[in-house]
Amino acid sequence: MPPLTFSIIRQSTQRTAARRGTLVMTQATSANAHANTNVNINANAATPATTTSESANENRNRNGHDKQLTKRVIETPGCFMHTIKGTVPHLTPDTLRLQGFGGVHVSIEQLLQDHQPGGFDKWPFTLSKFLNLQDMILLCDLRDPSRFVKVPVNSGRHVSIKTHKGIRQLTLEEYLKIIRAYQPDIVSTFADQVTDGVEESTVAATWTTRSGSGSVSDSESEAQGSSPSSGPGLKRVQRSVDRSLKWLDQILLDRQGGDALAQDRALEEAKRRKMKQSSQSAEARKSASLAQDSQQLDLTTGKTTSTTRKSWTGVGVFAHVLGAHVEQERVRSAQETARREAVDGFIVDANPLQGASKETILSLLKVSIEHLPVEKPRMVYGLQTPEDVLRSIALGVDLFDTSYPFHLTEDGKASLYSFGSHKTAASNTGTSFITMSDNNSILGGTTVAPKNRWINLWDDEHADKFIPILEGCECYACKGGRHTRAYINHLLKAHEMLATVLLMSHNMYQYSTFFSNVRQSIQDGTFEQHSAEFTEQFGTEPERTGEIHAAQAIVEAALSKRNRLDGGSNGNNSSSHSEGEEGARSKEEKAEARRKVKEQERRERKERNRMEGLQRKKERQQQQQQMMAKDELEVTMPRES
Amino acid sequence: MKSALKWDVIAKCGTTKARAAVLTLPHGPVNAPVFMPVGTQGTLKGITPDQLEGLGCQIMLNNTYHLGLRPGQELLDACGGAHTFQGWNRNLLTDSGGFQMVSLLKLAEITEKGVQFESPHDGSLMLLTPEHSMSLQNSIGADIMMQLDDVVSSLTTGPRVEEAMWRSIRWLDRCIKAHKKPESQNLFAIIQGGLDPALRAQCIEEMVKRDTPGYAIGGLSGGEEKDKFWRVVSQCTDLMPREKPIYCMGVGYAEDLVVCVALGVDMFDCVFPTRTARFGNALTATGTLSLRQAKFKDDFRPIEEGCDCIACKSYTRAYLYTIVTKETVGCHLISIHNTAYQLRLMRQVRESIIEDRFPQFIHKFFKDLFVEKSAYPEWAVNALKSVNVDLIQGEETQN
Repeated sequence: MPPLTFSIIRQSTQRTAARRGTLVMTQATSANAHANTNVNINANAATPATTTSESANENRNRNGHDKQLTKRVIETPGCFMHTIKGTVPHLTPDTLRLQGFGGVHVSIEQLLQDHQPGGFDKWPFTLSKFLNLQDMILLCDLRDPSRFVKVPVNSGRHVSIKTHKGIRQLTLEEYLKIIRAYQPDIVSTFADQVTDGVEESTVAATWTTRSGSGSVSDSESEAQGSSPSSGPGLKRVQRSVDRSLKWLDQILLDRQGGDALAQDRALEEAKRRKMKQSSQSAEARKSASLAQDSQQLDLTTGKTTSTTRKSWTGVGVFAHVLGAHVEQERVRSAQETARREAVDGFIVDANPLQGASKETILSLLKVSIEHLPVEKPRMVYGLQTPEDVLRSIALGVDLFDTSYPFHLTEDGKASLYSFGSHKTAASNTGTSFITMSDNNSILGGTTVAPKNRWINLWDDEHADKFIPILEGCECYACKGGRHTRAYINHLLKAHEMLATVLLMSHNMYQYSTFFSNVRQSIQDGTFEQHSAEFTEQFGTEPERTGEIHAAQAIVEAALSKRNRLDGGSNGNNSSSHSEGEEGARSKEEKAEARRKVKEQERRERKERNRMEGLQRKKERQQQQQQMMAKDELEVTMPRES
Repeated sequence: MKSALKWDVIAKCGTTKARAAVLTLPHGPVNAPVFMPVGTQGTLKGITPDQLEGLGCQIMLNNTYHLGLRPGQELLDACGGAHTFQGWNRNLLTDSGGFQMVSLLKLAEITEKGVQFESPHDGSLMLLTPEHSMSLQNSIGADIMMQLDDVVSSLTTGPRVEEAMWRSIRWLDRCIKAHKKPESQNLFAIIQGGLDPALRAQCIEEMVKRDTPGYAIGGLSGGEEKDKFWRVVSQCTDLMPREKPIYCMGVGYAEDLVVCVALGVDMFDCVFPTRTARFGNALTATGTLSLRQAKFKDDFRPIEEGCDCIACKSYTRAYLYTIVTKETVGCHLISIHNTAYQLRLMRQVRESIIEDRFPQFIHKFFKDLFVEKSAYPEWAVNALKSVNVDLIQGEETQN
């Protein structure tokens, strides 16, 4: 039984579905695992014997004291901290713990190394220990929730992820291996997210059709009719839901120690036999190599499953709820996923809906949430700005990630917004803020963020502001007035890394405070009122255009110029003093720069080849699938292109 | 001249010229011998002031030239100096900026007046004079400020070396005259004279007459032969007043530190530990680990067993391998480790001097780092022999 508990402390009594709760991970020690009651999550309990062996490692350090339980908590609405390569950007472990978050989100596409999961035989850790995050609730998913990356289409066998070395195709079998090695507190399901992207026109078209009488096939033809290549069609979406449900069942079975891949193997075997039988035909000869491939795959599969199968019931499972832009599929995905009692929570990823309007995205989110059981936690990706968070919370979302403060930091911005208390942000700073009424008249109700939402510390106006980002803020950067706006402005211009450390500390802390105030307001019954005030006061986050601040552009241009100059000269610029090793070491630096350029070229070349290869492979697969369609009941024709 | 420091030697090595001391500066005590990390632009490569304090760092470097350009003198005056500006409440030492103009800029022209150079920001011509350097350093408020000196490459020979030496003396006089806060900031003279013992002796003689609170050995660590380097250092420490701190500029490799302490140097600085960290190189007692290398991908040991820095307490080499040179955190962690390593090395050196077992420490240090005696650098063997430590013949247990 997973030691993960979600409890709702307070359901908003007013107009919204907002709720306050806690997500608690209790470190169950051997026999006491079952004493940990209240776990309303998993219907299937593990056998005591398994549990003992599972947690044996955990117990070693506890002096055999069975009754000791440790609890890790995320208060909801709340956040898992977003990570890149398993690390919260810019924050070292000590600074990280000043931010007030209890959870961390790790994506496999960011962390997985080339030699893994094969190399996990030598892996002596859990992921929490490897990343030194044992005091956090660790959620592991395939993808980075902070971004939307178009990846080549998935298949019935694999999901495409974008690792640091390019696109990689991961099979369920590999995924299960990773889970077993990582042993996170919570793992997401292996989901066939539709990553082809959705253009607004498609979504809008589908959406209007839906609200009319239209059947699903209508909406699909409508979508296809309006812009055939702009987004996934109904069949693609249906298949994504089907595949993901199948994989969900397999993951849940595997968690119980069952042989999740047995059916897949049997199918493969059948296919292979079929293929051999028809080897006489010209068609089959073409795909002989493919058959060989699948045979090899089959062999590896057989080898793996012959090893002992342990259950991993200590790990919670959060299921991805899919359906892309098709309402009916969203409903089906939500209902079917909810039907699986063993699922511990749900994830709705709004990233693939990128391109659609906020209203559309929220409406689609609502469709999913409404069909999920209230007593289990819901997490959302891709809706991270404070106002999106508020609207999602109003729909009943509990969990988010911290990519918003990270994005602010990357842009040199420092948060000033606050929730529920209106004095903090605007009052005390030395600069003159545009008041709300001024702001309205100036901006005329556009979506530009008011001045008091955040400030951009690249702006020259901060160069002489010897005041903290936000007076009274208790974050590492502001506390005691130790680091000022002027200093951060200097650090940015000097291209010094402490700039982002301080900005990230502040922005993370403010985000955490924002959530804490939201929870309090739900408790107090003021959530709806304060939400309305928030939007009124702080406006809407302008879309990130990828454009950089003019001051930043200047600094980067100067840097690249200097690097070019340094690279071109071999002058005897070596001498004494504090930078004395500069001369001696600059060789190393130049070699490094050259190495990096070469590496980059190599990577690009590799990526190009890979994409071409994938294209060829896809073509082959399509041929193969056409053949197999005869054998499989539910295989539909590939539409993806 | 006036001094704003106290120099208390608390122990002397019975064998070498090494000594342990407490240098008391306006922003607190500094245990010498000391390695001073370099935070050129008012920050130490992503390390927060708290973390730096946590590592036991009592003094760090800033650079006058860089801070003078940005944030600039006006802002430094407005906020009350570099300590406040960067939230660092311990000691600061500022280099005068002369070196940067020679090393970083192509168009520097040195005249009797000062150093003229082209601004890297807007291309305009600027003139740094001893007076201007002092004025900037007064605004920065460093606990130790360095004179503007005429720096020539240590590979230079001929009359230019002598010219630079005499000019540095004249500039020292101008610096002393221009220094506005001798009661709260200490001005150090910089000994020049290249690799020529006669010039060095002459420079020391002149500069000692000026009676500055401390002295630095400049013009070294520029790619000169190490065997010449140590001889200059040793000559200087012999001739310099023993009742004042001696600072050897730009020295930071572990073996150089240990040798120079034995030769009588008290203070060091170098960008090397944090610079090399950015390339994923971690310093340990047994050598440098290049954590970019794939051989670390399944190495589940900390960088260095027994190191109590946050990188070693938190992560394995395998994890650091995945983030070094890719994530800023990787860089921060290795910078922290390398700084911790340098500071720990100096603490160990200091303790061994106090306990009068510095020679044994040297033996062990070289054995750990180079393993085989045949791998010991010859210059280090020679240098240490000159202060009665025989690395080849001697034994670890000798006293």
